[in-house]
Amino acid sequence: MGAGVPHPPRLSRAVLRQAARLTYAEALIGDLEEEFLTHRVPELGVFRARLWYRRQALRSLPPLLGHAVFDARARRPHRGKRENRMSSFMQDVRFGLRGMRRNAGLAAVIIITLALGISANTIIYSVVDGLILHPFPFPDGDRLVTVGTEYPRLGRGLNFVEHMSPAEYVDIRESAESLEHVVAWDMGNRQVSLGELSDNLFAGFWWGDAFETLGMTPFLGRGMTEEETVAGDPVAVLSYRVWQSRFGADPDIVGTSIGINGNPYTVVGIMRPRAELYGMDLWMPMGVSPDVFPRGRRQFQVLARIRDGYDMAGVNTELEVLARRTELEYADVDEYEGWRMRAATWTDANVRQIRPAGYILLGAVTFVLLLVCSNVASLLLARSTARRREMAVRTAMGASRRRLVRLVLTESLGLALVSGVLGVGLAYLGTSAVANILAGVPFLPGAVELNPRVLAFAAGVSLSAGILFGILPALQDSAASVGATLKSEGTSATGGPGRLRLQRGLVAVEAALAFVLLVGGGLFINSFARLTRLDPGFSPEGVMSMRLTLPSEEYDGPAIGAFFQTLEERVLAIPGVEAVGRGAQFPPIAFAFRRVATEGLETTEEGQLPTAMTTLASPGYFDALGIPVERGRAFSAADVEGSPLVAVINEAAEAMMFPDGEAIGSRFRVGTGADDPWFEVVGVAGNTLNNGLDQPTFPEVFASHRQVPAWSNQMFLLIRTSVEPHSIVAAVRSVVRSIDPDQPVYRIRTVDEALAAGVAPRRIAANVLTVFAAVALVLAAVGIFAVVSLAVGARTREIGLRVALGAGGRQVRSLMIRQALVPVAVGAAIGFGSALALSGVLTGLLFEVSGADPLTLTAVTVLFGLVAFLASYVPALKASRLDPVEALRVE
Amino acid sequence: MPKRKFLGEFENLVLLAVARMSGRGYGMAIRREIEERTEREVSIGAIYVTLERLEGKGYIISHTGDPTPERGGRVRRHFAVTPAGTEALHRSREMLDRMWDGVELDGAGQEVA
Repeated sequence: MGAGVPHPPRLSRAVLRQAARLTYAEALIGDLEEEFLTHRVPELGVFRARLWYRRQALRSLPPLLGHAVFDARARRPHRGKRENRMSSFMQDVRFGLRGMRRNAGLAAVIIITLALGISANTIIYSVVDGLILHPFPFPDGDRLVTVGTEYPRLGRGLNFVEHMSPAEYVDIRESAESLEHVVAWDMGNRQVSLGELSDNLFAGFWWGDAFETLGMTPFLGRGMTEEETVAGDPVAVLSYRVWQSRFGADPDIVGTSIGINGNPYTVVGIMRPRAELYGMDLWMPMGVSPDVFPRGRRQFQVLARIRDGYDMAGVNTELEVLARRTELEYADVDEYEGWRMRAATWTDANVRQIRPAGYILLGAVTFVLLLVCSNVASLLLARSTARRREMAVRTAMGASRRRLVRLVLTESLGLALVSGVLGVGLAYLGTSAVANILAGVPFLPGAVELNPRVLAFAAGVSLSAGILFGILPALQDSAASVGATLKSEGTSATGGPGRLRLQRGLVAVEAALAFVLLVGGGLFINSFARLTRLDPGFSPEGVMSMRLTLPSEEYDGPAIGAFFQTLEERVLAIPGVEAVGRGAQFPPIAFAFRRVATEGLETTEEGQLPTAMTTLASPGYFDALGIPVERGRAFSAADVEGSPLVAVINEAAEAMMFPDGEAIGSRFRVGTGADDPWFEVVGVAGNTLNNGLDQPTFPEVFASHRQVPAWSNQMFLLIRTSVEPHSIVAAVRSVVRSIDPDQPVYRIRTVDEALAAGVAPRRIAANVLTVFAAVALVLAAVGIFAVVSLAVGARTREIGLRVALGAGGRQVRSLMIRQALVPVAVGAAIGFGSALALSGVLTGLLFEVSGADPLTLTAVTVLFGLVAFLASYVPALKASRLDPVEALRVE
Repeated sequence: MPKRKFLGEFENLVLLAVARMSGRGYGMAIRREIEERTEREVSIGAIYVTLERLEGKGYIISHTGDPTPERGGRVRRHFAVTPAGTEALHRSREMLDRMWDGVELDGAGQEVA
């Protein structure tokens, strides 16, 4: 055809061609073109002929599009209508399933990796949700507050537990306008007789009706009234779990009588599930008026609701004013100087210590998932070679790019969905295991379970993962140039330099993520190792501990002393027992602190009012725990009730109270009142890590329980054994029964176990992060291995050429490794920088290790470099062993 | 009653047009034939869609003609009725005849395609 021949309107023709999903589409176009040229142009002229053409195209669109929508019919023309009427979505899904079937091995690898990533995320989130975000079942939790105190003069930071005096509670209740339903409680242990058995329950003693404050009605019955709690009426509320486990969930228990410390109490109500605060399974009236306690008796805590019309800031302003007023009013109470009261939601107050760890684990596990996604994306990219031809054919047949992206994304989302279901299944198993592990951590509120929030999170994670790992391959696949791809006959193993570049990018991302995780894991391991290598200052091995609380209704001071003395003597006679002692507390846990005073010592060197741990102990305490008495003597059998009061102090207390003089023979007073007793120091004991392994030794003073048995009816029995510690428990129980059959023994564990429980959160965090770091290292290694293998495949001809031209195996290897390690090095550098930037987040959770610990960073760099080198060396080795003749033959 | 394939109205028209053109019919010619005889405007797209459907049902077969410059080098596709197509046409006609048998309408008779 010569020039000047009129052509039909191009746009209409193109539209027509797009719309016509017909076997004879070209014949249709040809017919129109022929008609246009041979009849319409001569008859109508070019302009009107073109109008005609456009009209034909336009009128053809409805039938053609209708046909295209059901284009399955064109492929399988003999099927019935209904079957063929498949939506394009179903086509996508079918496409995805077909893809999975065709590549079952790849799909399995992807699904398993993803499922592990998703389950790890789900488990960690269930922990964060259960323990940090929603640990309590109380409605309107953001208006349920507790008030903490800070005493700068005592060197005591914000504290919410056993920290407030009844007078301070009354001040808040009477003058804080912004708070309502202000209640307070003290904690202790009570013996509850349940038919034949008696058991020890952790109990709360209340002023006020806690149910009103918590915003909950009891599960059964009623709560205690304010009047009952002050008057001390014999009423009690039981926790749901105790009601379930020990009373057989008998609803008739309400209104009946149970024995508490030998006295009858009427059960008036059952708490709702998980409503017990601090694990208090029994609520009882305080039984005295708050005004009988001295202002300094700080062992209570308060709970309140923010009154309508106020917010947290309003509450804190009011509390600040109240604290300043109290400071002025009680100028003689010197610890009030600069003290503060701060309200926090009950949830915040309880989770503030574990929250950072929880968020760090959540962040770490997100990194793991990102790594998994980038690895999966890498795998999918590698597969897209075969895919590109298919995509090119689809494009040639008129599929739009958008449609192709959707097609590939549907497949990714399908993979993610299957992985998500599998992941939630794994998480279901995992959360129960995690719940068991966490049961060993003391005072953790909340419950770890797969609740709807966690399931929604898992669904969200699966979906985002599907999009995240699917989007790159989708864009890449759909961008295939039709002509080039189809002409290449599809034997090229790589799919072009673009994809390799993408994969190198992914490797850099993986390297960065893995590096950060490795640094985090390394820091936590390092920190935890330091913690466990610490010398606690005593010998915890082979020591059993158990607690007894004698009811004050039955035991007065002398009776308490006699009971424990007899107990120690009889336990010492048990075979395998080497030493026995008793103490009100033992390292690493401390709860009794008192102000102490020495003549002439107003403040410590730090300007604080001297405070010491005050520990009641028996003569055998030091031997049982293996605490060395460095100078002077331990308590003796001569230190009995009525003899002059003596004390042993630790070296830290000596340094604080007697900075310039000899401690032994000197006197000090426990308490600040004029009536408080004086003690004479008779011995100095070695320092122990008495305030937690991660805290410096606290000044500690020991008084002899034999001299002041009335000071504590609640003691730990400490037994050093030459046999397996748990094996003596039965014998000890029978000794206790022989003295008083009603006294239960509880909190039975070895001192080693107590030490381990104290560092359990750190141990768990270290273990979990180590696992994450190891997984990250493996994933990154796999990613590096894959990209080098691909590069080798892509450059087979080039390598063959190099070898043919005389390049040695070593040169080829180093070329491949060098190229592979460039993105790894870039990623690692980014990871290094990110780890440094994030180090501040970790520092607070680390023990004696900085977030930018040079040793850890060096070790991680070396380890990572080694693994990256090995991961690239293996495929590079293969490249260097290529037979040049074979390699050149490769298309 | 055995399951049978029935022709739709437009399929009937297209199949008849193909039959009338005795194997020389191609898309545009078939369209012209229908337009002239029924005085009804038909789009070329609808013709081709129907032709493909009829071929799928086995009522027509096609063969390629030669490409011509007027067609931009594209081949023509010629269609012819198969024995199955002939049978379908007969069946369709008999069906209509049986339906018409004995029907008396007032006034002007209804146009039947």
